[in-house]
Amino acid sequence: MALPAPEAVRRNTGWMAGIPVLEVRHLTGPADAPVIHDVNLKLDAGKTHVVLGLIHSGKSMLMRLLLGLERAESGTVVVEGRSYEATGETETVTRDMRRRIGVVFEGSALLARISIIENVELPLLEHRHTNAKDARDAAQELLLMVGMNVAEDTTPLQVGRAEQRRVALARALALDPGILIMDEPSHGLDPHAAAELDDTVKRLQQERGFGVMIASHEARYAFRGAHEISVMAGGRIVEQGTRDELQASSHEVVRQLLNRRGSR
Amino acid sequence: MTAGAVLPAGPDAPALRPESRLSGRFVSRARLVGRSMYWLAWLIGSGGGRVGSGVQREIETLGIGALRLVGAASVLVGLIATFQIAYQLSAYSAQSMSGQAIGWFGARELGPLVVAILVIARSASRIAGEFASMSVNAEIDALRAMGLDPIKYLVAPKLAALLLALPALTILSDGLILLGGWVGNTMFLGFTTGFYLEQLRVSFTIRDLIVGLVKAVAFALLIGLVAADEGLNVERRVSAISEAATRTVVACLIAVLAFDTLMNAIFYFIPSFL
Repeated sequence: MALPAPEAVRRNTGWMAGIPVLEVRHLTGPADAPVIHDVNLKLDAGKTHVVLGLIHSGKSMLMRLLLGLERAESGTVVVEGRSYEATGETETVTRDMRRRIGVVFEGSALLARISIIENVELPLLEHRHTNAKDARDAAQELLLMVGMNVAEDTTPLQVGRAEQRRVALARALALDPGILIMDEPSHGLDPHAAAELDDTVKRLQQERGFGVMIASHEARYAFRGAHEISVMAGGRIVEQGTRDELQASSHEVVRQLLNRRGSR
Repeated sequence: MTAGAVLPAGPDAPALRPESRLSGRFVSRARLVGRSMYWLAWLIGSGGGRVGSGVQREIETLGIGALRLVGAASVLVGLIATFQIAYQLSAYSAQSMSGQAIGWFGARELGPLVVAILVIARSASRIAGEFASMSVNAEIDALRAMGLDPIKYLVAPKLAALLLALPALTILSDGLILLGGWVGNTMFLGFTTGFYLEQLRVSFTIRDLIVGLVKAVAFALLIGLVAADEGLNVERRVSAISEAATRTVVACLIAVLAFDTLMNAIFYFIPSFL
């Protein structure tokens, strides 16, 4: 089965261009013990928003909150114009919202006990209700799209970290989401593999038109085509703007992140 | 996120209130039970497609993989029970009744309990460890982020496999306990095979078998749900995996023994109840 034409491309070439695909409004949480405080940010269709911050600054929790993996104390998440109260029970976050956001977790988070192809098939079988053969064909096509060609019984533990990350990317894009979220995408990768992954994401973003949100402590993402950058510290966004605006910032954390050796 | 760290903790993160933690755990357990039953019913009703093939894999691991252990242990338990019963009855010169006691006690009590304890030792810790490992590696989060219910894909197949495997293993165990009893009665106590079989015929009823199988079904649910609860509710650090496995063995043993005690008390005080 051929992959369906990416909805995101249609969206970005038509009436939705320039409209935020993701908006986070006054997000505070998690409800039990807030570590994120009043975060506001947005991601435009086809653009890249980088959330920069040191370790334990709250980046990963922000991603978990906006994905509905944790219940927020307050705040709203708007996905492609549909808003969801982040304060609802995590299990009630709609499947619709989750299928519109593809996620590449730090460390890839592939299901280790099933094959690589089965990993990519899972969302297709669940959400598209395709038959087994069509799902398998689509999964193989997605894997080829990210530069992976593996035997049917190859498991995630039989390939390297860089390949695992590519599989995670293929899985995240299986449902043709309008938003791709990547948490520390280069974690555990050598610089060459990290750069290759960046190039693959950029190519696919241009082809399919999804917005990309990257959470990282590496300032190099701010210098590689980020359209907007938010800097987090202590669970708050302390600075927000373009690369040039951030370079002019005198905020201590911003200076610390941007001036790290090898960060570019 | 840094592997091995307790995640995520902001510099000024307030501690979780104890009452909030307690009520949260109660709610999450109730939800786990409810959703497990829902997806189990769905699995039985629909066959489950991809999930159904997972059940087959789990039966091979949890059931067929335990055959040798259950087989060997059941014969030995049958022998041990024969010696112990005969020794106690010898004070009344009633060793000849040991066959009757095995027939009644084996199917009602020993079979289901031996199987449950062996499955807890062999598989419950493994189930919890597997789920805990998946939680630590964010595999559970990945499923949820894709809109896939971990209960449907992970817990329901294991519960279904346990619900099939435990009663089947219990029937096998009942038979092998009786075999152990036959070995003890004929080779060591000096009774004939015919006498032993007559003793069994007098004491053993289908009702005993049914009581044992009802217990096996209840034990399967308890083991599956406790292991899932312990495995899925862990902090994201590597040591949480072994801690979850240990807690699961303890909690499963207590749950199974407490349930068995309750059943025995009901049978004692309300003899007409089965």
